[in-house]
Parts: sequence; structure tokens; C-alpha cells
Amino acid sequence: MPLDTSSYSLALLRLDGRRWNELRRITAQISTMPSADGSSYLEMGNTKVLCTVTGPCEGGGTRDRDRADIRVELAIAGFSGVDRKRVGRGDKRVSEMVSTIQSTFASTLFTNLYPQSTIHISLHVLSQDGSLLAALLNASTLALIDAGIPMRDYITASTAGSTSSYSSNDESADPLLDLNTSEEQELPFLTVATLGGSDQVSVLVMETRVQAGRLEGMLAVGVDGCKQVREILDDVVREHGKEVLKSGRL
Amino acid sequence: MPSSMSQQILLSPAELSYLHTSLSSSPPIRPDGRSSTQFRPLIAETDILPGTNGSARICFADGTEAIVGVKAEVEKSRARYTHADEDGEGIVEEDEGRGLNEWVELCVEIPGMRDDDSMPVFLAAMMSEALLADGEFTRRLYINRRFHWKLYLDILLLSQPSSYPLPLLSLTTHLALLLTKFPRLKSEKDEDPLFDDDWDASVFLYPRSSTKSFDRPPVTLLVMSVNGNIMFDPSKEELSVAEVVLAVSVGERSRSEEGDMVIDSGKTRDLRLLAVRTIDPPSRLTHPGVPNALNTATGGSAADTSEKASGQRETMAEGSVWQPPRGGAKRHQIAAMIQKVLEQGGVAEEVMAGLDGVDLG
Amino acid sequence: MAITILAPAPAAAALPPRDHVRDSNDDDDSDNSDNGGVNLQGDFDKGSRPAKRARHTDIITPGETVTDDSQWMRGHGTYIAPASTEIIATVAGTVQKTNKLLSVRPLRARYTPEIGDLVVGRIVEVQSKRWRVDVGAPVFAGLPLSAINLPGGILRKRTETDELQIRTFFSEGDLLVAEVQSLHQDGSASLHTRSLKFGKLRNGIFMSVSGMGGGGGVVRAKRQVWMIHTAGGGGEVDVILGVNGYIWISKHIEAAGGDTAITRIEEKISSTVYSSQNDEISVETRTEIARIGSVIQLLVQEGVKIEEETISKAYEAAVGVASLNQGEGSGYLGGELGRIVMADVGKSS
Repeated sequence: MPLDTSSYSLALLRLDGRRWNELRRITAQISTMPSADGSSYLEMGNTKVLCTVTGPCEGGGTRDRDRADIRVELAIAGFSGVDRKRVGRGDKRVSEMVSTIQSTFASTLFTNLYPQSTIHISLHVLSQDGSLLAALLNASTLALIDAGIPMRDYITASTAGSTSSYSSNDESADPLLDLNTSEEQELPFLTVATLGGSDQVSVLVMETRVQAGRLEGMLAVGVDGCKQVREILDDVVREHGKEVLKSGRL
Repeated sequence: MPSSMSQQILLSPAELSYLHTSLSSSPPIRPDGRSSTQFRPLIAETDILPGTNGSARICFADGTEAIVGVKAEVEKSRARYTHADEDGEGIVEEDEGRGLNEWVELCVEIPGMRDDDSMPVFLAAMMSEALLADGEFTRRLYINRRFHWKLYLDILLLSQPSSYPLPLLSLTTHLALLLTKFPRLKSEKDEDPLFDDDWDASVFLYPRSSTKSFDRPPVTLLVMSVNGNIMFDPSKEELSVAEVVLAVSVGERSRSEEGDMVIDSGKTRDLRLLAVRTIDPPSRLTHPGVPNALNTATGGSAADTSEKASGQRETMAEGSVWQPPRGGAKRHQIAAMIQKVLEQGGVAEEVMAGLDGVDLG
Repeated sequence: MAITILAPAPAAAALPPRDHVRDSNDDDDSDNSDNGGVNLQGDFDKGSRPAKRARHTDIITPGETVTDDSQWMRGHGTYIAPASTEIIATVAGTVQKTNKLLSVRPLRARYTPEIGDLVVGRIVEVQSKRWRVDVGAPVFAGLPLSAINLPGGILRKRTETDELQIRTFFSEGDLLVAEVQSLHQDGSASLHTRSLKFGKLRNGIFMSVSGMGGGGGVVRAKRQVWMIHTAGGGGEVDVILGVNGYIWISKHIEAAGGDTAITRIEEKISSTVYSSQNDEISVETRTEIARIGSVIQLLVQEGVKIEEETISKAYEAAVGVASLNQGEGSGYLGGELGRIVMADVGKSS
């Protein structure tokens, strides 16, 4: 039982010691790989992902001649989970995440500035512990900023859950922010991404059942989490920018 | 696919000719000023993934990067029906402590390529060949007669494969294997295995001994030669004018078993050649340069027929324009290259010493 | 030691451990808005960072409002939110003002061609009447057959024979230096080589420096092409810094006789301008060309701007260091020697 209901109601602490509205520790680096146009490394708790962006470069534009194509490639390392498992490229979950990421950035990037070219986003999952899609979206945002590709604003994402399962039918259950794997396995949860920490939701994915009454609270917590994530990512970009300007001057 | 991903990097005949002449002079002038046995500095990091039995990451100076994660699972050994029924125990005894190649699964993933593309398959074959060459490696995975470790090696190339990635992947795998640990076995004999859950008590796949020398995983190095000059750690530009390219796999055996004799010989390490493969250098696919005398744009006159053109080209002074290398590798050439790797104080020794220096967690 | 293995850089980019929940009022940005009518209300509730467009060293990030003053026109790296006058940044970088044009220059981005840029490019495709050239931009540039000097003088008429022999001028893989003549609707560039200083490249080595912007990389400068008088008997070496980050370092070839008539020069030049055959280059020159190459590589690695001044300074330092550390491989600046060179450069500047 990932969330001991009895003890949670007493101390209001989750198994990893967080309160309901706390994010796990997020650390990120950008420009990790000098040979790529843009790159980033992001950790959300024990979920670790790496993103490289190539382009915009020649080729593509097959879908629409007036704007850049966005191609996403997602590789989940065999050693990333608890048990060693190979996830093929044709895996349904992988292709769903790929298409979510692809369509999110297609609407956020100014792809019309680069007609007949392609932007490649390549993602590697090195370790998974929940909130995978959120981590992938956050890492992609950072790598795209590093590549200097114009976007409307940061896309930041987080997950939100509810403290009791669907079957318990507990209308008063508290919402939870930023779930790890064991919480994701037991509890209803959703992944939400917003544009620039505003209330504009650009991604909302939910694959579990939950009473409609609980949804609003979960969504509010998730959107607030996105705001916090945006602040953290923004700091990373600014720190990096300062470094770059400093070294450029010799 | 980004243009940089094409395996064949495009160089002009003038560049190829410049490179070739520079690398042919003695000593060779490499485009980045290195000496012939000098490696580009690399950045290595170990034990980066707590969820694996061993992991490592290496970044090469040219921006290519790889991560290797090793994961082990306990697996029930296949019952062997072979001759056991007829001959009784004898055969089984012989198998004691033996390993099977199928206990190791090695996957190479390269961005933008499918798992069954030739490059990842070829690389995986070469790496497992070196690893399994002496049969010693699988022996380490033996637990008891009924169980063994199944070892999964996932080798990820994170960047676009700008140059031939074999040395990068091999060095990263070497470090990851060196760091790989199994929990300590508590059960005895052929019982169902029971392990010590204290990770601090875990044992290395390659056990450290107090002396400096112990068994080590293999390392595969890329060696190229141009006009008799042998060079290590070739860059992609250098590879595109190479005449011979070899992938040489080297392992190290512990000396302790052999006692004092080896120490007397003054050797610091006992290196063994595990595998050699010749690699088709990309230079063979390049286009030859057109000499001025045959180029109408430079005041020459083009030959009327292709036979004539090739005839004229043959008689041209060598070295004036780029000509792709022809013919195979000479045996003495290959021998010289292997010698250079293995010789005492040679490159393999230095690479092993360098890898020793990496902070092993 | 043949091999150097380094630990990863001390987590310079990694942030210090921080609380998950931020304090609502952040420390680093005090609210000293300047007089340019800068909007202080971001559309997120807390930590709304004031955009200080007056200070060029400040980093602007995507989504940040640069100004809401309608007197500014928006340039690259910005957009105007629908139904407002706010100019919002779309990339992370620094603000640049040209007259009334406000743009954000990214820290790093692919090369975007501009008319008049001197670029080094590589032919990737030969078509019937034009070449397609990789200049490191989002799309390939075009070089029409009509935009090159034909052998036999500038005044010669283009004939069908030239079209059939298009590969004798440039073919796949060839490198050239050219100028951006015009830009197409889709942002792709059209090049020309109609000058004696442009054309096919030989006698040297090519390098690519990715990314340009506020930090490292090649910058648009007064001089993109110059000559270095090298040490150690290397003679004169030409350096061509393409604005697009492609660099060519080659032996300097003296242009044909200075006092001959203009038309003669044309003829003389045209006989070698499309040549793929290298001249005789001495070992010393090759060594120095390699040294200049490693110097540039070192500057790139350190994130320093690539321009005439930085290269010359670092080259001098590298020559100094090499004279103290004789021996094979002393030209390589990837390891310890590179750090010594950078320290020397730091002292002199």
C-alpha cells in the first residue's frame, strides 16, 4: 500500500515524507551535450530523463510545407525500471507519449518561422519513478530553449493524484502533487501541462478512473505544480545564460 | 534525418588530399595536433544510476556520449538433458562453474536507428564477441547448478553517431562492468539462492584483489593506418582517409594465479588479444579528385572516354589529387598495428592504466 | 600518458539544493524598473520578474514580457500577444535594440542567413542549373549557376555547355566561400561567388563551430577573412570565418602578379578557381594550420567568442606554450596544454 490511509490521515505525510502539495526535488541542466543544437538533463525525484534537440534542419516539411515538422523519438532504457524490460519503439504507451509531446510543441513553437525543415526531439529515459510524461515535457522545453527555437512560453508539466482509490469512493479525499511510481500504481492520477505557468492547460492526460467531484481539486493542484516547475526551470535557464555570457567575454 | 547523421561524411577532394598528405608525413600531422598515440581527453562518470548493478557514462571530446547500464536477474538454469541420463554424474560435474553465452544479453541502441539496423547489430556482435571470447566471463555469472545470473547490458549512444562509436561504447561498457556488483550469496550449494540484502556487502563481478592486477573486462580500440603511420583514436575526418582500420579487443588477466614468473618478466600487465576485426574504412567510398589537367574548368581538357580518363589518371603523379585507397590490408601492416597496441608500455597498457584512474565509486 | 580521463565538470550547471516551494519574493531581482514603460505585471502571480531592457547583460527568457510600450517594433525572438501591445520574448537571450526595433538575441541558435553574410558552405546536391549548399542554416542555401564566375573571364556568356558541365565547377562535397545575395520567402538563402575573394576552397582544413549567439561561436565582425603570420616557418595562413560557424584555415596563396591588367588577373585566377588540386604545402605550414585549428577548438570548448582578436591572442599563447613543451603532440590543446594556453590568454587580456 503506497499510501497508508490510516497514517496519512494522522500525520498528513506521504510515504516518502512529502506533504500533499510538495514536489519532489527537481534538478536540471541545459547544454549538457555540446554537439547537439540543444540538450538538457532533468531529474524529478528518481525519474531521470535526457533530451537532445537537432535542428531545425533541412528535410521534412512533408506534413505542411509552411511550417517545420516536429519529430519526437523516445527511448526507454531497459534498465530504467525496477525490473529490466525492453520497451520497443512500437510500444503503445511510448507512441502515445510521443504523439502527446509532438502535438504539444507543434502548437507552442513558432514552427512557421522554419518552413520545410524538421526539428528532432530525442528523449532518453534513464530511470523511471513516476510522472514520466511530465518529466519528458519539462526536459523537452529546456532542450528547445537551449536550441534557441522560438516558443510562446515554457511548457511545464506535473502530475496530480488523489489520496484514495476510485473504489473507496471517498469524496473528501485530498489531492496530491507529483506522484512517484508506487503512488501512480495505486491511486487515480492525471498529468497536466500548462503554458508559461498560466492557467492555460495544453496537455491533460488521465488514464485512471476517479469521481468527477474530485477532478477539480486534482486539476487545481496540478496546475499549481506546473507554476512551481516553471519557476524552477526558469532559474535553470537564467543561471545557464549568465554562465554563457560570462565565458563569452573571455 | 539530420544531414550530420549520414555515416559517410562528405569531404571535398581537396580536403581529403590535404588530410592524407598531412597524415602520411612522418611524424604524421594530425588536424588537431595530436601525436599518433594520443587520445582525446574524455570525461567519465560511474555509478550514475542507482537502479542498476553497474553503470557508467563517457563523453568524448567530439561531443559523442554514451551510457551503459548493467542489470542482473537470477534465472533458473536450463536443465541439461544431454548425456546426463546415460553417463550419470560425470558430465554434470564437468559443467560445474561453467557459463553459457546466452546468460548475457547485450543491446546497443543508437538514436535514429532501428534495433535491427546493421550498425547496432554489428556493434553488438563485436562487443559481445570480445566479452565472450575466452569463456571466462560467463563463468562469473554462475551461482549454483540450478541458478545463474542473467546479465543485461544496455548500451545507449546518446548523441548522433558522428564518428565510429565502437571505442566509446567499449570504454563505457568496460567501466560499467568494472563497477557491476551482485548481492552477496547467503545460501549454500544448490539451494534456492538467498542473498544478503545489505548492499554494502555486495561483491564485484570483477573482484578486486589487493595487488594492482586483477581480471578486467575487455576494451576495444580503433586503430588506423595511413601510409604506414599508425594512429589511435581517429577522428571522423581522419577515418575518411584511412587505408586500414582495425578494431582490436584487449583483455587483462589476473597475474596472481601464475605466481612469480610473470613478475620476473618485468611486465606490468598481462594483456591478451581477444579479437581483431578489420573495418571497411569510409575512404573507399569517396570520390577521387579531378586533376587540373583533366578539368575543363581549370584550363585542362577532359578525356573523351572514361577509359581514357582512368588511363590518364593512372599516369598522374601520385599525391597531386585525392585517390581513394585500393587493395586490402597487408599482413605485416596488421601485425604492426596489433603490435603497437599490445607492446609493453604500448597504448593498451596506457588505456588500462587510464581507466584504473577513474574513481570507481 | 596517451589518454586523459577527466571527471565530469564540477556541477557548475547544477543548481544548489533548493526547497521545493519557493519563497514568493525572490531575491535576485529587485524592482528597479527603468523609465522605458516596461510592464511589471507578468501573467503569473509570483516572482513576476521585471524585464530590464536597459541592461544588456540581463537574460530574458521565453514568455517574459520585454515591454508593453507601443513605440517599439518587434524584431526576431519576440512576438506580440493577441489583442495587446506587449512584446514578449520567445527565446532565452539578451535584448538588442536597433533604433525602434526590439529583438531578443538567443544565447545559442542555428545560423539564420542575412544578406551580405560571408559564409563557408559545402555542396550537398547538384541540380541542373544550381547547387544546394549546406551552410548550417535550417534549410540548404541555393547557388545558381548564374551566380558564379565562369572560367575565361567575367564577361563570358553562360552557355548550355556550362549547364552540362556543372559538376566541373562544383560537385558534391566541395567547399566554397560565398556571400548571401538574397533571401527567399522560406528563409533560405541564395548565394553568389561573383568576386575573386569567393569560390572553391583548397589547401587547408575545415572546421565547424556550432551555435552562434550571445555566448561562444562566430560573430558577425568587421573582418571575417584575414591572414596570420605564423611562427616556426609556417609562412602565411589564411583564416576564413564564415558567419555561419563554418571555418576554413588554409595556406595563403599569393594572388597572381599585382601589376598585370585587371583582365589578365581574371584569366589567371580562373585557371585555378575551380581546381581540386592542392598546391605544395610544407610540413611547417601544415603544423601551424593544425595549431590554429586546435586553438579555435579550444576557444569553442571554453565558450569564448570566435573572432580575429581572440584567435590571434590564443594563437600567440599557444605558440609560446608549444615552445616550452617540445615534442610530438605538443600542438594538441585538448588537455593540460589547453588550460595553460587559456590561463596565458586570460593574463594578457
